[in-house]
Amino acid sequence: MRHLLRALFAALVAVALGGCGAGDTSQAQTDPGPQGSGVNLAAVPKSSYPAPGASEAARFLNQVSFGANDAEMAKAQQYGYSAILEDQFYMPSQRTHEGYINTVTATDLGDEHVMYTFWREAATGQDQLKRRVAFALSQIFVISLQDANLQSYRRGVASYLDMLTRNAFGNYRQLLQDVTLHPMMGLYLSHLRNRKEDPATNRVPDQNYAREVMQLFSIGLYRLNPDGTLMLDGNGQPIETYGPNDIVGLSRVFTGFSWAGCPNTSTSCFNGSGTQSPNREVMPMQAFPQFHSVSEKTFLGTTIPTSTASDPMGDLNRALDVIALHPNVGPFIGRQLIQRLVTSNPSPAYVGRVAQAFNSGRYQSGAYSVGTGQRGDLKATITAILLDIEARTVPTSDPGKTREPILRLAQWMRAFYARSASGIFLVGTTDDPASSLGQSPMRSPTVFNYYRPGYVPPNTAIATAGLVAPELQIVNEVSVVGYSNFMRSIVQNGAGSNSPRDVQPDYTAEMALAHDANLLVDRVSLLLTAGSMSAGTRSLIVTAVNSIPYPGSNATTARLNRARLAVFFTLSSSDYLVQK
Amino acid sequence: MRASRRRFLKTCSLMSIAGAASPFALNLAAISAASAQTLPGYKALVCLFFYGGNDHTNTFIPYDLASYGEYSASRSSIAIPRDAALAANATGPVASQGGREFAFNPALTAFKTHWDAGRLAVVANVGPLVVPTTKAQYQNRSVPLPPKLFSHNDQQAVWQAYRPIGEGANIGWGGRIGDLLAGQNANALFTCISAGGSSVFLSGVNVLQYQVGSSGPTSISGISGTIYGSGTAASTAYRSLITGTSPNLIENELRVVTNRSITANQQLAAALPAASTLVPAIPANNNLASQLGVIARIIAARTTLGSNRQVFLVSIGGFDSHDFLLTQHAQQLTLVNNAVDAFYSWLVQLGVQNDVTLFTASDFGRTLTSNGDGSDHGWGSHHFVLGGSVVGRDVYGFFSPTVFGSSVDIGQGNLVPGIAVDQYAATFGRWLGVSDTDMPLVLPNIVNFSPRYVSLLP
Repeated sequence: MRHLLRALFAALVAVALGGCGAGDTSQAQTDPGPQGSGVNLAAVPKSSYPAPGASEAARFLNQVSFGANDAEMAKAQQYGYSAILEDQFYMPSQRTHEGYINTVTATDLGDEHVMYTFWREAATGQDQLKRRVAFALSQIFVISLQDANLQSYRRGVASYLDMLTRNAFGNYRQLLQDVTLHPMMGLYLSHLRNRKEDPATNRVPDQNYAREVMQLFSIGLYRLNPDGTLMLDGNGQPIETYGPNDIVGLSRVFTGFSWAGCPNTSTSCFNGSGTQSPNREVMPMQAFPQFHSVSEKTFLGTTIPTSTASDPMGDLNRALDVIALHPNVGPFIGRQLIQRLVTSNPSPAYVGRVAQAFNSGRYQSGAYSVGTGQRGDLKATITAILLDIEARTVPTSDPGKTREPILRLAQWMRAFYARSASGIFLVGTTDDPASSLGQSPMRSPTVFNYYRPGYVPPNTAIATAGLVAPELQIVNEVSVVGYSNFMRSIVQNGAGSNSPRDVQPDYTAEMALAHDANLLVDRVSLLLTAGSMSAGTRSLIVTAVNSIPYPGSNATTARLNRARLAVFFTLSSSDYLVQK
Repeated sequence: MRASRRRFLKTCSLMSIAGAASPFALNLAAISAASAQTLPGYKALVCLFFYGGNDHTNTFIPYDLASYGEYSASRSSIAIPRDAALAANATGPVASQGGREFAFNPALTAFKTHWDAGRLAVVANVGPLVVPTTKAQYQNRSVPLPPKLFSHNDQQAVWQAYRPIGEGANIGWGGRIGDLLAGQNANALFTCISAGGSSVFLSGVNVLQYQVGSSGPTSISGISGTIYGSGTAASTAYRSLITGTSPNLIENELRVVTNRSITANQQLAAALPAASTLVPAIPANNNLASQLGVIARIIAARTTLGSNRQVFLVSIGGFDSHDFLLTQHAQQLTLVNNAVDAFYSWLVQLGVQNDVTLFTASDFGRTLTSNGDGSDHGWGSHHFVLGGSVVGRDVYGFFSPTVFGSSVDIGQGNLVPGIAVDQYAATFGRWLGVSDTDMPLVLPNIVNFSPRYVSLLP
């Protein structure tokens, strides 16, 4: 209830400020910003694929955005894949998450505000690919509002998601640096205020970031071949990428960093006490040489020798260079991005092609070439993922990937042009698996994300087949109930708080076909499943639609109910829940 | 070891004759065959997992003056003060530890009560091992070691899985115990139940982990009645749509889970008493207490559900205390204290306090060293066992001096475990009804340890 009132108040404030055009921050929110990319779509060099048909366009858009809709499908069919990508690569962002948070009165601020801005951009942002990739990155470079240390820093968390968005088409090395120095990561993995060792008190540097930056953000536990398969030693055993001594060495690098915005010679500034900048949660951490270790730092085959002068930024740059140049990074990060955008079980050859694009910084498909030629180019990496033959061909043996709950709700918003009465998309946290999605953006339970990239559901045919199914880690006997009941209500009543609910779909196009159950179901199947609905599923949904009499006592009501039913049933079908 | 391995394979092959075509289908006949005889009465295990790696040093604290002095000197800024709150939680001299005294963290007031009542035991320095391992053997890498020590997800899996293969392990020892005892239950699905989220702990070769929400069973509304003004044909079609089978492996699994959810929900909804029947009321704003509440309700329905042997998992996160150890650890332990204390009251209410044993587990212990205001990933850790059958008011194993350079300190005060997870696990497995000869099926490495059991349970 408190959240609801808070949200109402925020909405009223935003409307009021927007109405009289006052204040810089609110203007940033009401000003639509630059529209479109300015790219001449007809002139973009063509990829090796012909222009897609309707279902191919829908399939592509469900990989490169938060969901296909009529307008985007028409654009893809007219101009082809490369034009859509190029358009997105140059598409400016109209808003930032932090910009929205800045419009909320500090004392009202809650986690739900981070959710609102996420949902608004997922549903309506013109920079869809960048935000979809940023969402994928947020599941690799994880921070979480669930962590008690971050709960008073919603603005900082919003700025972290902005940072990922900004870097989504940039370079991995810069991304790694921005992640490392963001104060929210510093709080989350506790290298903010991390001090050099002190033998007198047995204090040693905090090892948290040193461990996770290698295990999760860059190279992983075991050495990989260029195609992402495990490299094996003479005994057929995997080879560890690092050991405890590498962690000790690297932990010394990540010492002497803390809040920016106050003198970096001040102990109280380092400790976060005394006069602190009001903007410290959105500024990269700064180096405090007196708290940085000058001891020898050995890790990953590199040694930074003992020095007399403390050089925190120099050491950090050197360490991140070593990590980013490790041959594991391309296949390790590339495979996870494939899993987030395309499929759970890419072939080694597919991973190898993506890693090659990462390493060379360039990718070419037909006449369409992308990339700066610098290692770690994420535009080239993403293009390699999306224009690969395995991404662009409907698979025959690969079972695909489970759509994660957040993407399901986002896709419903996109496909049916959901609009927010407040303009703010008042959809709060959706954590509870028993009554909602069991997943909220930026609220992973741990740094290991909602699910692991290598998760194998025990005792299943999936395990027997040697496949992974990451998203199934959050599918269970409880979550299937919560999802079904949650979506049943949303499809009918809209999403979010307020009455009527703030986020409402537009089923006009579906209602127009609703007199004919076959036409209706085919349209919903195209939008949501890229036309992949099985005959059995289609037949069940047609039967159910026909159980609503048409025209009945009120033809418009019948059309609306039939449209809703077709949408809800499709969203519940395994045909939809697994993206192929 | 070889004989056990053969036995294991033989049992597996027996179990999988009918199940080979559909490995996810429960093979009740085979499970029953593996359990030779009906065991008397009801018994259940509850694993309470602290996700993140509990700081054991500040959970069970050396208290006599000499021991506290060592602790305090080693921990410096993250030591808990030896004040009245700590004194109130002190154990008194513990004979098995040479008369040393200890104290429960000031938040664990109920643990002290249960200790005094003789139903709570402490097991010192438990952790994953492949074979008994000394500090020198660890340093020289002269014995096989568990993989990826100090890594959260891997060590969670090593603690929970029946063999130490790290993340990706898919058979847990709770699930293997369930495999062997599911035949004691009318419905094998209710053998291994998690209210604490997905984990490998409760997945057996045949037995599945059944997950239940912390508020109890819930039903899918779309499978009955009408939807958006439809006829009842729609809800019938809906049920077919979300269950049934699919040739796509992932799609099929989604349908399998949904089908299981619907079936189990109907059984539980009919059998479980209301949450409001529990006395005292479920502590508010305490998810762990809610999880234990639904477990208590399932135990209450044991006769209706035909359950005789069950293994449960509950969990609580927030233990990765690299920072703010003193404040946040106390908050988490307060939740634990209140939840566990309420749970024990419910067991007494149900008259099953001697039939249910709760034990704790965690990713790993933490360093003795301070990193300023927290501690880092370690290895061995102290744990608690609570229940009417527990020989309590004692510390099992060797509680080493809380100093650097001790005989078990492998650096930063991290402990090479003195008691293997396998020995800890076998203790619970035997109590629940797994025979000595079957134990290697649950814990293949148990044959490497002697004694195989900790003497805290009969």
